Amino acid sequence: MSVAPATTAVELVSGNRLTALGALSAGCRFFAGYPITPSSEIFRTMMEELPRRGGLALSAPDEISALAACVGASLAGYEAMTATSGPGFCLMIETVQYAVMTETPVVIALVQRLGPSTGGATQGAQGDVLLAEFCTSGGTTIPVFAPSGAADCHELTRAAFAWSERLRTPVVLLSDKEVGTTLEDVDTASLPDDPVEPRRPVPAGTERFAPYARTCPGEPPSFAPVGGGARVVATGSAHDTEGRLRKSSPEVVDVLVALQAKIDAHADEMALVEVDTQPGATTLVVSYGSSARASLEACLRVRARGGRVSFLRLRTLFPVPSAAIREALGGCPRVVVVEENLSGLYAGVLEPHLDGRRLVRVNGVGAMITPARIEAAVEAEG
Amino acid sequence: METQYLRPGRGPYCKGCGHPLVLRALGEALDRLGIPPADVAVVTDIGCVGLADGQIAGPHTIHTTHGRSTAFAAGLALADSVLGAGRLKPIVLIGDGGATIGINHLVSGALLNSDVTVLVHNNFLYGMTGGQSSAFSPVDFVTSTAPQGGFLPPLDLARVLLAARAPFVARKLAGDRDLADVLEQAIAHPGFAAVEILELCTAYATRWNPLTGATLREVAEQAGYELGVLRDEPRPTFGASYRERHAADEQPAPPRIAAQAFEHRLVRPHGLVLAGSAGERVRTAATILARAALSCGLHVTQKNDNPVTQGTGFSVSEVILGPEPILYTGIERPDAVLVVSEDGARELAATGVLARADAETLVVADDGIELPPLPREPLRLPLRETAGPKLAALAAVAAWREATEALPEEALRAAVVARLGDDSSRLFAPGRSGKLAAREHPR
Repeated sequence: MSVAPATTAVELVSGNRLTALGALSAGCRFFAGYPITPSSEIFRTMMEELPRRGGLALSAPDEISALAACVGASLAGYEAMTATSGPGFCLMIETVQYAVMTETPVVIALVQRLGPSTGGATQGAQGDVLLAEFCTSGGTTIPVFAPSGAADCHELTRAAFAWSERLRTPVVLLSDKEVGTTLEDVDTASLPDDPVEPRRPVPAGTERFAPYARTCPGEPPSFAPVGGGARVVATGSAHDTEGRLRKSSPEVVDVLVALQAKIDAHADEMALVEVDTQPGATTLVVSYGSSARASLEACLRVRARGGRVSFLRLRTLFPVPSAAIREALGGCPRVVVVEENLSGLYAGVLEPHLDGRRLVRVNGVGAMITPARIEAAVEAEG
Repeated sequence: METQYLRPGRGPYCKGCGHPLVLRALGEALDRLGIPPADVAVVTDIGCVGLADGQIAGPHTIHTTHGRSTAFAAGLALADSVLGAGRLKPIVLIGDGGATIGINHLVSGALLNSDVTVLVHNNFLYGMTGGQSSAFSPVDFVTSTAPQGGFLPPLDLARVLLAARAPFVARKLAGDRDLADVLEQAIAHPGFAAVEILELCTAYATRWNPLTGATLREVAEQAGYELGVLRDEPRPTFGASYRERHAADEQPAPPRIAAQAFEHRLVRPHGLVLAGSAGERVRTAATILARAALSCGLHVTQKNDNPVTQGTGFSVSEVILGPEPILYTGIERPDAVLVVSEDGARELAATGVLARADAETLVVADDGIELPPLPREPLRLPLRETAGPKLAALAAVAAWREATEALPEEALRAAVVARLGDDSSRLFAPGRSGKLAAREHPR
């Protein structure tokens, strides 16, 4: 028997709603969306909440328009976000690349559902993890954060905004149907509400603004809004520091290389993980998103039976938090990677970081992976 | 001509190409309007027209993706009109190819009435990629993909945009002496303005077709294209309408502080599945239960499932209550299954929920529903008959509460009242612990 405190601000709230509220707390001013299950509650919440906070929420005619409008608003200097699921994200990819190339901050909440194609609108999945990351021609890393619960949606949406603004890059908040639509108890009064640091503005009085010039390596260029005093030249074509279309110039290559360098330079800072290691563990369970909750539950049950197992939840999927992974590995000779897709998509990304340890994949589609399956994988010989 | 808007020279365009004529007229129009260059954003599409960026002097330039330029411009214009000073004038330069790909962005820009001016450079084919046919190529027009001449009729974009309620639509020839006047009108227009400009592609179109500046008007006539300003009727812009519509919005509510708190009797997580039919308030009943649990200091998860259809078929909610934070949000072995309709029973059979019930599982079911043999004798109640279909799920929750005593009756009653209103306390018969007295008070 337990007694609840006399007053509480605990609410029954979904991950989708806290994704929207997290965005608003971070300083999101512009949202353009097109509805798609299971992400639609983010859209609806933004349509309701943004106008009353002086922001702009736009019902776009399709996903291509939605992200393009966000990029337009962001070019004008406003923190922008859209939300979608796999089929809608596919339509956005051209514009994601444009945001990479033009170094335009924008956050995309991608609430995964069963694929491929239309797939299962009301069925969960973690099948878009590589689609989200490797949708860019040229290999530029798109930061991807993966929440496991409602409060985590709030926190990681804020992280997505912080890094999107800081590095002037699109960032994907990779949620899933279970995380996005499950209602759970969250003390919403305790959630942070201070806006994130906006993109670094061009110093006042800059005479000649070169929109893609960098003052220090590993940092994005200073930002000037379209409509402001400094003349902006934005382009998705390969360009020099002035934004001029150039072919085969070393300066163009420098600008391209800098797109990745700014991500690499901050990879360790972006690495967010939850680690629960156990001395003497022979297996490390690695997971993310909704599957991480089943994984932790499985680990606790194994431990309750006297087994020794370590647990690592990746909240940052990209850039791969390699240092944190190495540290969590410890002396474990065996790694179990749990994710709800056909073949273990992220496990393939992890493999080179495991220094030759035995990799066991626990996968499945069409239903959440149960703790029982994970327990079996942990306790299996070898 | 060099102005604060335009650089000198014709740019990278072929001799006789219409693009520099449009640029010159644009420069003239901006010059006459005297808009500060910093308030103008030239948003270009892909193709030869996209090379115009290099010819722009003072205004911002944004070179976008193929066909999507108007969507980017809409984002700029709408954000500036609602969140900013409302001075920004995006001007889209797009070709007939881009307009074909992104016609929905033009239609949408017109419907939204975003303050965007779109100049459609229609030279009847794709120029940069080698003179292929576009949706704008006239009948019998020879292109690299229609060497014998095309046979499809051309798109009448101006009519499409008129149908999309664009407040300003014009169609001009690149050589028209008053082109700058019309562009001036279009840019000054408060809201969406589209000008389709018919022009020559001297790299391909004039080489393969008997087309000159002098015969351009005939091509327009044959295509049934009206020329001139086809509409100039301002209507409220998106920004103005949006601000007006939301002027009286209430400020966001602070988080709810629940003053009431009850005690619970759970020592381990309890997974409950509630199954019924869409439209019969299954979710509502589950949410009432979840909120009652919250008021007892329990951790709760609630999942709702339905077919892709919204108002027919099953509706299943899964609620987990626990003294500790809940990790896995699925229910491997249900502690309780409440079945209130045939739709619900079918779905439980399909997903194997009842097959996972064991001797500990409490099954509460309407007495009219057929169930498979179960390890534990189900609690059969006339839920639908006594409570009615819309309250059967809530009646099942009340029966579950009474059987398990996981929560106090007051907690459930308070949650029912909070959700359904004060008079809903009538639903509970006096002195009967948690049981709905729906027979006396049918709804």
